[in-house]
Amino acid sequence: MSEFEPTIVAFFCNWCTYTAADLAGTSRLSYPHNIRIIRIMCTGMVDPQYIIKAFLEGADGVLVSGCRPGDCHYINGNYKARRRIKLLREILPQFGFDQQRLRLTWIGASDGVHLSEIMRAFTAQIKALGPSQTKLKMVI
Amino acid sequence: MNEKIGKALVVGAGISGIRSALDLAESGYRVILVDRAPHIGGILSRLDYQFPTDRCGMCKMLPMINRDSSSQYCLRKGLFHENIEILLSTEPVSVQGEAGHYRVALRKKPSLVSEELCIGCGECIKACPVEVPDSFNAGFTTRKAIYLPAPHRIPNTFVVDTDSCTMCGACEPVCPTGAIRLSERERRQFKILVVDDELIVRDSLKELLEDEGYSVDMAESGAAALERLSGQKYNLMLLDIKMPGMDGVTVLRKAKEEFPDLTVLMMTAYATVETAVEAMKIGAIDYLLKPFETDLLIPKIAGICNEFEIARARFVDVEAIVLCCGTGFFNPADGKDTCGYHTLPNVITGIEFERIVSGTGPCGGQLIRPSDGKRIEKIAWFQCVGSRDLQNNADFCSNICCMYAIKEALLAKSGTNGEAETVIFYMDMRTFGKSFQRYRDKAQGEYGVRFENARVHSVVPEDGTGNLLVRYVDTCGKIHEECFGMIVLATGQRPAQGTGELAGITGISLNAWGFAETAPFSLTETSRPGIVIGGSFSGQKDISESVIQASAAAACASRAILASGKGPIPESPPETVSPELLREPPRVLAVVCTCGKSILAYTDENKLSARLKTDPEVNHVIFSARICTADGWDELAGQIRKFKPNRLLIGACLPYMYGRKLKKAEKETGLNASLTEITDIRTPVIRFSGENPGENKAAVIIESHLRMGLVKLKQAEPSTAPSLPVTRNCLIIGGGIAGMTAALAIADSGIKVDLIEQSEHLGGNLKWITETLEGFSTLTLLNDTIQRIEKNPEIEVHKSSSVLASFGEAGHFMTTVENSKKKIRTIEHGAIILATGGKETEITAYGHGTSEAIVTQKEFEQRITARSLDPSTLSSVVMIQCAGTREEPKNYCSRICCAVSIKQALFLKKQNPEIAVYVLYRDMMTYGFTETFYTQARKAGVIFIRYTKDSKPEVMVSGPVPKVKCFEPTLGKDVEITADLVILAAGVVPELPAGLASAFGASCDTDGFFLEAESKWRPVDSIKEGVFACGLAHSPRTIAESVATAEAAAQRAIRILSRNRLPSGKVTAIVRHSLCSLCGQCIEACPYGARSLDTENEKILVNPAMCQGCGTCASVCPNKASVIEGFSTRQILEVIDAALCI
Repeated sequence: MSEFEPTIVAFFCNWCTYTAADLAGTSRLSYPHNIRIIRIMCTGMVDPQYIIKAFLEGADGVLVSGCRPGDCHYINGNYKARRRIKLLREILPQFGFDQQRLRLTWIGASDGVHLSEIMRAFTAQIKALGPSQTKLKMVI
Repeated sequence: MNEKIGKALVVGAGISGIRSALDLAESGYRVILVDRAPHIGGILSRLDYQFPTDRCGMCKMLPMINRDSSSQYCLRKGLFHENIEILLSTEPVSVQGEAGHYRVALRKKPSLVSEELCIGCGECIKACPVEVPDSFNAGFTTRKAIYLPAPHRIPNTFVVDTDSCTMCGACEPVCPTGAIRLSERERRQFKILVVDDELIVRDSLKELLEDEGYSVDMAESGAAALERLSGQKYNLMLLDIKMPGMDGVTVLRKAKEEFPDLTVLMMTAYATVETAVEAMKIGAIDYLLKPFETDLLIPKIAGICNEFEIARARFVDVEAIVLCCGTGFFNPADGKDTCGYHTLPNVITGIEFERIVSGTGPCGGQLIRPSDGKRIEKIAWFQCVGSRDLQNNADFCSNICCMYAIKEALLAKSGTNGEAETVIFYMDMRTFGKSFQRYRDKAQGEYGVRFENARVHSVVPEDGTGNLLVRYVDTCGKIHEECFGMIVLATGQRPAQGTGELAGITGISLNAWGFAETAPFSLTETSRPGIVIGGSFSGQKDISESVIQASAAAACASRAILASGKGPIPESPPETVSPELLREPPRVLAVVCTCGKSILAYTDENKLSARLKTDPEVNHVIFSARICTADGWDELAGQIRKFKPNRLLIGACLPYMYGRKLKKAEKETGLNASLTEITDIRTPVIRFSGENPGENKAAVIIESHLRMGLVKLKQAEPSTAPSLPVTRNCLIIGGGIAGMTAALAIADSGIKVDLIEQSEHLGGNLKWITETLEGFSTLTLLNDTIQRIEKNPEIEVHKSSSVLASFGEAGHFMTTVENSKKKIRTIEHGAIILATGGKETEITAYGHGTSEAIVTQKEFEQRITARSLDPSTLSSVVMIQCAGTREEPKNYCSRICCAVSIKQALFLKKQNPEIAVYVLYRDMMTYGFTETFYTQARKAGVIFIRYTKDSKPEVMVSGPVPKVKCFEPTLGKDVEITADLVILAAGVVPELPAGLASAFGASCDTDGFFLEAESKWRPVDSIKEGVFACGLAHSPRTIAESVATAEAAAQRAIRILSRNRLPSGKVTAIVRHSLCSLCGQCIEACPYGARSLDTENEKILVNPAMCQGCGTCASVCPNKASVIEGFSTRQILEVIDAALCI
C-alpha cells in the first residue's frame, strides 16, 4: 500500500497569507501538493461550520491563516478568528476529530519561506496522525 | 479623449506617490504615475515592519469607497486603479510649459523583456552568466543580470539590468516564449555611420563606439557612404572632411539634400575654422578634431544620442505635477568616520538590518549575521551617522532614525524571544511624533532596550570572532568599552540620486543641502506653481507624515487642475443588471490557459474538457495558449461573442492581473464582470517543481482547482455595487489656520463649506504668534487667509457658534449648530473635518503663577508683542523644556516647544547679546532642518543643560528673582542659576471635547487628540468614513505641518464630496431581512460601524459605502441572515465540497 497522502484544506486571507502563497509560488519554494487553498477575504469570515464541513467531507487537516496580529486589513478580523478557532478546537473532539487537525497561523505577506515551512510541518503532523477516521455524515 | 478631464503626473511610486496618485484618482482625475525603478513601493517594498505598530498595513491605503475601481490585494504585489496609468522604469526628461499646462517628456528604459510574453519561468536566470550583488537585499545576496526586481511583484516578469548585462545573449535562446529582446537596448538602436578613408580610423572608432553600446557601420568613401545612407536609416554620421574622390563637405551637402533629418558630425585632422564653419552652415552640428580624445568624443556622441532618445520619449500633457521622489541615504563609507562600515562585515546600516529581518531577505527573517551565520546576541545602534554632523555638511536631523532604531531593537528582541541585548547610542532621542514617547518608554521599560546617551569613539574588530569592540564616552566624560556582535548605523538622509537634475528639469529650487525647497507655511508648494511636492523629497519623513504630505500635495495638484479649467471625469450612471440575467440558468464558458504548452505536460486537454463538461452548466471548454497576452485576450473576446455565455471561468495564473481586462471585456462583449471567476491553476503546478506529484496527481489538482472556481461561479449572484447619494457640502469645526486652510481647499473645488468657529474671530492660535523660527510673518498669513475666506462665495462662516448634536454617515450627516443668540440651525453635509485646535497646557509646576518672572512660552510671546517686557533689562533667562509633558499622564512630546525655545533664545540673544540664556532640556527635538537653528543657538552662546525625568530642575521663588537649581552632568554637580526670567515650555493640549468627537462617530486617544483610523496609512481619517481631523486637534504640529494636515483632510473629504453618489464594492454585506432576528450581534462585530438598527422599520441597515466586505458579520450571524456577496455560505460550502470531491 502506498504512503498515506493527507488532504488538507487551507483558508487563506486575501491580504497577507495569500500574498505569501503567491510569493512562495513565484519564488519556486516547493510545498506539499495536497493542500487545497481557498481564498477568503479575511480569517474573520471563516465560519466554524466551514471547518466542520471540511472535516466531514474528508479533509484530514484544516489550516486557517491570516495576517499577523495588528496587520489585519479589516482592523481586527484575525483576532475574532483566533477566539473562534480556540473555541472550535475545544469542541472538535465531540465531532470525533483530533484537535491537532486544525491549526491557525499568522503569515505575513513576505513570509513565503515561513508559509512553506508551516505547510510542510502541518502536512507531516497530519501524516503522523494518519487518515481522519470519522465517517460521520451530517448535513450542514 | 475628453479634453475637459484633468490629468496629473506623479513622479515616484513610493508610498507618497501612491497616496497622491490614489487621492487624485479617487477624486476623478486621470493620473500618470511614473517611477524609475522597475517596481512600485519605493523603500517600503524592502521593509516588512513599520513603527510604532511593528507591522505592515500598506493595503489600508487602498480606496475604501468605490473599491472595485482599484486592486484589492497587497500593495507589495502592485497597484491597479482605473484612473491611474503606471509607467515603471520611466523618468521625466523634460518639462515645458507653465502652471496648468505642462508638457512632460517621459523616457522609458527598455526592460529588454516583453512584459506581454514573459511568463516568469526563470529559465533565463539559469542561463545568465553574470552575477552581481542584489541591491534589493542591500547586497547580502546576489542576483543575475536578468532578474525579478521585487519578489512580490505581479506580473512577475523579469527585467534586464543593462548596467551589468554583458549582452552575451545567453538568455535569449532559452526563453520559451521569445520574450527577451536584447537588441532593444537603447543605444543599439542608435545607428552610427563612420565615413573615413583611413581603415585604422574607421576600425578604432567602430570598436570604441560599439563598446559604448551603439550600432556602428563603416564606409570608406563618400560614394559608399551615400549608398549606405540610401539603404538604411542612420541617426548619426561621423564624416571625415578630407577624403580622396568626393570630399566631406560635398558628401554632407548631398546627404543633407536627401536626408535632411540626419545628424552629421564632421571629423578633420587639419582643422581650419573655415571648413568647419562651411560644413556647419550646410547642416553639420559640430566637428571633431583628429586625433580624437576619447574623453571629448564619447560625451559628445552620448549627448546627441540623448537628444535622440528624448525625441523618442512619450510626451504627456498634464495640468499638475506631483514630485514624490523620496530621499537617499548617507553612505558611511564616504564619510570621515566610517565606523568600520565596508571594512568590518558586521557593521551594517539600518536598511541592511531591515533586510536581515525581512522574510524575503538573505536570512529568511532569522536574526543571524549574514557574514558568518552566527546568531546575533548583542547589537548596538549608532544614531546620527551622517546627520547632525557639521563635518559631513549635514547640519540637519534625519527625522526618522531614532524611531526606526527603537523599532529595530524591538524586532531584535522579538526575533530572539527577548534574549538579544540591544543598546542604542544616541545624542537626543527624537521621539517627537504622536505615541512615539510611549513607544520609547515601552522599549526601555518593558523590553529592556538600553539607551546610552554617549558618543562612540571607535570600533575595532575582536580577534577571530567577528565581534566588534566599541569604545565610547558617557556624558560625564568616562570612557567605556563594550563588545557587540553587530553594529547598525542609523544613516542619515541625503537628497535622492538625480534630485539636482530633476530640479533643473522642473525648475524648482533646492535648499542648502540639496533637498527640494517648499514655500513658507507649506510643505507642498514649490517655487513653480502647479508643481508640488509629496513625501520625503523635501526631507525625510516617517510614513504618517509622508502620507499626510502626499494627500496635501494631491489637494494642491487638484486645485491647479481646476484652475486650468479642467475637471474630473464625469460620473458614470449606476450599473444595472438586466432582469433576464437574474432568471437565466448559468451557461458557463470555461477557458483553460495552457501557458504555451506547459500545462499540457500535466493534463490531457480532451480528458479535462470531457470531465468538466460532465457538469451540465458548462457549455463550452476552450484552451488558450496564452490568455495573458493581448492576442489571447482578443481571441477570448471573440469566443465570448460566439458562444454567448453568461458566466466565464478562467483557469490561468495570477488571478489579480485580470481586473482591468475584465472591465474592458465587459464593455466589449456585455459579459457581466461580476460573473467571472479566475482560478489559479499554474501556481499549484509550479509548486510541484520541488517534488514529484505522482501519477495523474497534477491533473487531479488542476481539475479540482477548476471545479472549486466553477461551483463558486455557478452560485454567484449577478449584482451591481450599491451606491449612496452624497450631500455636497462640508462642515468644518474650528476657524484656526487648519480649519480655514481646509475650508479654502474644499471651496476651491467648488464645494460648499460651513465653517463653525466658537469665538468671535477667526484665527485661533495665530492671533498671538507673530513670527516663526524661520522668520516668516504669521500675521501676513493670518490676514491673507481671513481675507480669502471672506471673499470666497462657497464658504459660510458661523462665528460664535457651536455644535449641539449630529447624526448620519459618510455622504449625509445632519448637524445642529447654535449661535450666541441661541438660534439653532440644522446643516446637512456629506463630510466633516474636526479642526478644533489646541492650546498651551495650563501649568502649576516650576512655580508658575507664583512669580511674575515665571512665564510660559505663550506668555513670553505675548509680553514681547505687548512690549511689556524689555529684553535689555534682562541679564539671565532660564528655559525649562518638557515642563508638563513627556511623562505620565501627558506622556507625549509637544513637538513645537524646542523650536519655540530656540526661536525665543535667538531673539533674546539678538536683542541683547549680554543675556545669559540657559535651556534645560531632556532631548532637544529640533528635528529636520530646524537642527540648523539649534546649531546657531549654540554658536550664539546659548547654554544647553540636559536633565532627566528623575532629576528635574527646581525653581525657587523665595527672593526677588527666582533661582533655578539643576544638575549639570558635564561638571557632575548641582548648579544654581539666578534667573530674571524663567520660561516654561508647557506643551500642547488638544481642544477636542470627547463628546464632540463622538457626536460624529470619531474618538479621542488617551491624551485627548483625535484618534486616527490608522496612524500611518490613514493619518487624518477617523475609523468612521467621512470624518476627518487636522491641525492641533490631530496632534501637536508647527503651522506648516498643520496646514499640511488641513490640506490632506480636505483632499480626503473632496474624494467623497466631488461625487454625486458613493459607489461601494461588489463584495459587500447584505441582510436577508426575512431571516434576521434583530439580535444586533453584527452591529457589534462590524469594525467599520457600517451597520445600524432602523428601529422604525425594524431592520438592520448596512451602509454600503462604509462596509468593506470583511465578512465578520456573516460569521457571527446566528441565522445566516447576513451574507457577503461573492463569499456566501452556500458558495464556500460548495467550494469545500469541490476541493475534496476528487
